[in-house]
Amino acid sequence: MNAIVKIENHDNQEIKFTTCYMCACRCGIKVTLEENKVRFIQGNRNHPTNQGVLCAKGSAGIMKQYSAAKLRKPLMRKPGSERGAGEFVEIEWDQALDMLTERLSHIRATNPSKLAFFTGRDQMQALTGLWAQQFGTPNWAAHGGFCSVNMAAAGLYSIGFSFWEFGAPDWDYAKYFIMWGVAEDHSSNPIKIGLEKLKRHGGKFVSVNPVRTGYSAIADEWIPIKPGMDGLLALSVVHVLLSRELFDWEFLIRYTNSAWLVVDTPGQKGHGLFLRDEQGNPLIWDMEKSAFVNALAKDITPALFGDFVAPDGRPVRTVMTLTAERYLDERYAPENVAQECGVTAETITRMALEMAHVAFKETVELDIKWTDSWGREHDKVIGRPVAMYAMRGIAAHSNGFHACRAVHLIQIMLGALDGPGNFRARAPYPKPIPPHQLPENNIDIINAPNTPLSKTPLGFPMRPEDLVIDKQGNPLRIDKAYSWEIPIASHGLMHMVITNATNHDPYPIDTLLLFMANMAWNSTMNTKNVQDMLREKDPAQPDQHKIPFLVVVDAFHSEMVNFADLVLPDTTYLERYDTISLLDRPISEPDAAADAIRYPLLKADRDVRPWQEVLVELASRMKFPAFTQADGSRKFKDYPDFIVNYERAPGIGFLAGWRGKNGEKSLKGEPNPKQWEKYIENESFFAHHWPDNQKYNRFANKDYLDVAADVGFVGKSEPITMQIYSEPLQKFRLAGQGLYDGPQPTNPVDRERLATYFDPLPMWYKPLEQQRVDEHEYPFFALTQRPMLMYHSWDSQNVWLRQILAQNYMYMNRGQAERMNLKDFDWIWVESHNGKIRCQMRTMEGTQENTVWTWNAIGKQGGAWGLKPEASEAKNGFLLNHLISELLPAKKGERRITNSDPVTGQAAWFDLRVKITKAAEGETGSWPEFPAIKPLPWDDGERPDTLRYSSRPEDNK
Amino acid sequence: MHPAFSVIFFTVSSGAGFGLFALLVLADLLGLGGGLSTEQKLTAGSLALFLVAAGLSSSVFHLANPKNAWRAFSRYKTSWLSREGVFAVVFFPFAMAYLGLTWLDMAQLKWLEVTVGVLAAVLAWITIFSTGMIYGCLKTIRQWNSPLVPANYLALGHFTGALLLLLVASRGAVDLNGYVTLTAGLLVAAAALKAIYYFWISTPGATSTIKTATGFTRGTVRLLDTGHTHGTFLTEEFGFKIARQYAIVLKVFVFVAGFVVPAVLLLTGKADGAALYAAVMLAVLGIVAERWLFFAEARHVVNLYHGAQHT
Amino acid sequence: MRLGLVIDLDVCVGCHACAIACKEWNASGTTAPLTDYQPYGAQPSGVWFNRIRSYEVGDYPNNKTINFPMSCMHCEDADCVTVCPTGASYKRAEDGIVLVDQTKCMGCNYCSWACPYGARELDRESGTMKKCTLCVDRIYDTFMPVEERQPACVLTCPAHARMFGDMDDANSAVSVVIRERGGYQLMPELGYNPTNHYLPVRKAVPIATENLGKQGFKDRLKGIVNKVVKR
Repeated sequence: MNAIVKIENHDNQEIKFTTCYMCACRCGIKVTLEENKVRFIQGNRNHPTNQGVLCAKGSAGIMKQYSAAKLRKPLMRKPGSERGAGEFVEIEWDQALDMLTERLSHIRATNPSKLAFFTGRDQMQALTGLWAQQFGTPNWAAHGGFCSVNMAAAGLYSIGFSFWEFGAPDWDYAKYFIMWGVAEDHSSNPIKIGLEKLKRHGGKFVSVNPVRTGYSAIADEWIPIKPGMDGLLALSVVHVLLSRELFDWEFLIRYTNSAWLVVDTPGQKGHGLFLRDEQGNPLIWDMEKSAFVNALAKDITPALFGDFVAPDGRPVRTVMTLTAERYLDERYAPENVAQECGVTAETITRMALEMAHVAFKETVELDIKWTDSWGREHDKVIGRPVAMYAMRGIAAHSNGFHACRAVHLIQIMLGALDGPGNFRARAPYPKPIPPHQLPENNIDIINAPNTPLSKTPLGFPMRPEDLVIDKQGNPLRIDKAYSWEIPIASHGLMHMVITNATNHDPYPIDTLLLFMANMAWNSTMNTKNVQDMLREKDPAQPDQHKIPFLVVVDAFHSEMVNFADLVLPDTTYLERYDTISLLDRPISEPDAAADAIRYPLLKADRDVRPWQEVLVELASRMKFPAFTQADGSRKFKDYPDFIVNYERAPGIGFLAGWRGKNGEKSLKGEPNPKQWEKYIENESFFAHHWPDNQKYNRFANKDYLDVAADVGFVGKSEPITMQIYSEPLQKFRLAGQGLYDGPQPTNPVDRERLATYFDPLPMWYKPLEQQRVDEHEYPFFALTQRPMLMYHSWDSQNVWLRQILAQNYMYMNRGQAERMNLKDFDWIWVESHNGKIRCQMRTMEGTQENTVWTWNAIGKQGGAWGLKPEASEAKNGFLLNHLISELLPAKKGERRITNSDPVTGQAAWFDLRVKITKAAEGETGSWPEFPAIKPLPWDDGERPDTLRYSSRPEDNK
Repeated sequence: MHPAFSVIFFTVSSGAGFGLFALLVLADLLGLGGGLSTEQKLTAGSLALFLVAAGLSSSVFHLANPKNAWRAFSRYKTSWLSREGVFAVVFFPFAMAYLGLTWLDMAQLKWLEVTVGVLAAVLAWITIFSTGMIYGCLKTIRQWNSPLVPANYLALGHFTGALLLLLVASRGAVDLNGYVTLTAGLLVAAAALKAIYYFWISTPGATSTIKTATGFTRGTVRLLDTGHTHGTFLTEEFGFKIARQYAIVLKVFVFVAGFVVPAVLLLTGKADGAALYAAVMLAVLGIVAERWLFFAEARHVVNLYHGAQHT
Repeated sequence: MRLGLVIDLDVCVGCHACAIACKEWNASGTTAPLTDYQPYGAQPSGVWFNRIRSYEVGDYPNNKTINFPMSCMHCEDADCVTVCPTGASYKRAEDGIVLVDQTKCMGCNYCSWACPYGARELDRESGTMKKCTLCVDRIYDTFMPVEERQPACVLTCPAHARMFGDMDDANSAVSVVIRERGGYQLMPELGYNPTNHYLPVRKAVPIATENLGKQGFKDRLKGIVNKVVKR
């Protein structure tokens, strides 16, 4: 039968290009609009990130745009009502901004640290960070401390770039790919595009993960490791490689500090530091000259292994000698770690040998001429095609920093970094190791009224002098980042802010300003107690809360909004201007430096303002220097004006494309008044494609580094030497051991932590919580991950996505469940040292036997997110967060310590151990139960029983 | 399969109606028991038409978009559902004509009465057969995809029809032995066919499994996730599952209420009022239970995708 | 012409992108809207044309997770069409696409009973049966760029696990990949001759691990002679 199907009428349709907001991939999207409604959102084929494809979250953008949870107007907590009762009155923007300006101005004029400004899955950290710096508070960070700082810090202190946003596997040439503990919500489209490419080319995909879902589903080999053991597995791989001399001599000598000499004087000051010349250059032993020479000089012949005696008589050893001795130890032999890792010795050995085979016997050679930093020309680029990627499964453990360094150590030994087929850097990375950016720690500047910080609040300490502490060693930041407790907390510790502020430890604050951070629910540890802390009154001033003023900025009605004193409603991503900047969390790909914008495709139908605009407005009102002309007048009309005209350094601004007066310059150039228009014309993104000779070995690629230095990616064009041995860590360790010439901690707890965990070489130790709880009483590891179709906590309000996943279950290995007489859909109690929850379970094959896991942030508080109080997310969904403490279990004679990685402060929410018992007959529904959140003033709480969304005019008559 | 009330009512009611009508015509032709009175014939015929009409209109309630119901007559070339509708509708004028002529009772038109009566009976058989084939033709449902299904429909329709005819006959002066024998015969046939059916569906044989459904032939295949937390059209329509024990209890009830007790009542009792009414009531309850089970035990292959190992 | 899809089970990660893209396109497509029930309530549900299921094959630790997207197979012998009493269900002669004419459907569900693959879902609000149209309103839309004239699910699939093409053309990409990768049909025993094919999981080629390096480096380390590498 033939039938003509009517093609839709495009007359009233418009096509616009912008950038997705549904996760940190920030893909390019092509949006079809029909009479001011969204007809279709699809991937932009020309965009470097997603190349035309789009994930479920991106396509479901329509249902975010038309969410019932959108905030509509500024709100103030109803006078006389209790915080958290959810009673609000609508106020006008002028009133809200006046109120906030007055309060913040007072803080800024008296004690700027009393403002704490923390942001969630923020995509504008360059702006929020600048704003905090200009305000003068050190108390700023985004959610990285929760998410990925172990990956970022480990990478930036080891190889100059890192997993997650600063690097990517080279899918075009990779032949072997190992994915370490990647939760499904991470690197969404690029990793999916890449995995398919890898498999199509016949490459092998190995997944190291206690759970086999998502990406791991398609792995050629699944290694169900026990959680928290990745570092040990990686070091065992290193053991195998070393024991057979399977490492890349040339790579190690040319591009890493493996030949640098380390002073070996245990128990003395200076032990473990590099032997340096008078200019401070590290030294190597030159085999031809038979002399100690500058390790950074040209034409040297370093000894990779060896023990020497320095001219001053001190014994010195090469980094590689230390490395080999450390990891050749039988402690790391596969048969000695198999039991702890839950991976057989045979598998570990085979895994190491397969990597070595691919790296050394299946080398990729590209006929590309390039010049190294020492001016030598090469006519080939050599690639060791073993690619890796790692994320949450490594990051969210208290041993994650070292575990990630251990993974980088494998890459370094194989010479598998920034070459064809392995793990490559994304601009503006690689950077010097660590990046030359120190956190503000001048107490006089921090305390100075109405004065910006001289540096950003976050950075990369090199030594104890860089800590953000006072003379007594007390933290200057509310989250205690960069204190003796957490010295290298490069993303801050968002998860400690509410606890510390409530305890007035280290000091009380006045205002907590949260942007898009659902800290009263899923973006916190210990949710129930955190809600109580937010409600807690100050006994010293009974009319005041422990956290006196709470400002929440969000586009949607989250659980956090419910606790606000002031709510500032944000726009959606289709309603505002935005930048995805190279100064921020870049979207570059290995072959191209890239940035992007958003611009309003739809007019907001509510009284809401983009948070960017509000930040610029507040900055202008408070006359932050960067936002104010010399004559005191306002410098930037609005956010788009700010983006075009603000320069961090001459010629360098938020957007790298179409700079210069006429838009003729890329990466660097004077402001272009038509820059937004150029971006919009060019599908809302900019990509600078690296020429072939600048694509690889960029840590020592002269042509690349010259450009990078010119455009401000790096300070100057000089080789970036990978740091197997981390001297900054050793300096902190010496401080802990009392052997450091400089500030040292006095508290024995701090001293012990520094001495133990600041090993200059990658190490493995049992996760901290697990050192303190009885493994027999709590026999299971408990994990959470976000599903591929959800990323932000707000995805549950999406009426399409929630149909796919509206209730989470606790998954357990089937065989394990059978041994415990548990079965699908049983209600169970899950208990940790911190509390207990009741939830429903399911069994599966693809879960490591000692592990249980669930989908994160599916559980919701009734009434939040525009859902009805009886939504299954509220009644049957649950959070694991209640079980996870933000503090380690108490230990006698010790102050309470954060449950975080002791090096970086990464929240250790994967360290959780639990016990599981079957709930009694009749015990159903998730527990703890929370009262339903009240509807907001504009909302009658009614919701339709059916939704029939369509953009077709005939369906909307 | 979800046992929808409207469909259960429809098939039981119209099946009984068609069976009754066809048997009425036969009994009339053969002059069974000395021949029914005109009044009895009209009563039985009207009852049959009422049951058929009630059933058909009930089936319209089953439709989500009844305004297009009239289009259901268009695809009789391929669709048994369409055929059922067409034959059911075509049946009516013949049945009405037969009843009209019976009422007129004109000797010179007897040939016509017989002709339209036989045609109506044939149409009734075809319609019941079509109803059975609606289910019987579905390759997706092992428990239905068998000639036993139209055979069952025919037998059960005629058995319930015979009971009703006996009931009508008992309200007059005819000799009931023939009617009892007819009913008993149909009862035995229906019970036997049903027993064979239950035996047949209890062994899956070589049918679709989760392995053929997915193509994963190595190792045990288990469902991990259906891709939706709550029900969908598919789970509501096809997800219905009955516990084995419950099904056994119901089958016992089908046989006891539907066949055994009516048989005992028919053969021992004198087919007088109370016993006969009881037999009819029990049989109807038994057949409703049978019909409910017919749907409840039917396992659509789509369930394989939702984790069933076989149907 | 016989248009249909090929699904590569070796690379499908189960991300639901295709399901949502389908929902999104068709929410305003030829059979729009696709009703959602209890969108904010206790048990959200709705009309979808494409659903992704996940299976586990084999027992731990030798288990494999396989994600399994399913939509209309556009069968060659489509019983859903033959059983339809109203003629609302039809199969296009020119390209084999199976469609439901919304103006004719009476919502009897019978076609869904005849479909082994769960491809048809009733929209309770419109009272009509709805299903995958193979984006017939995209693939013939000459106003669209040529490369976008594909079903929305294929266009969006991040893992490129979905391919669209003409199975009648032996040289089409889909026919070639079916031949080369052993593409198969679901439940062939039912005889529906579905057009859509599934590509099985690839077998990884073993990697040689023999004769790699020299064991005993620990012992050699003591008197090691360094390699000369100029830098």
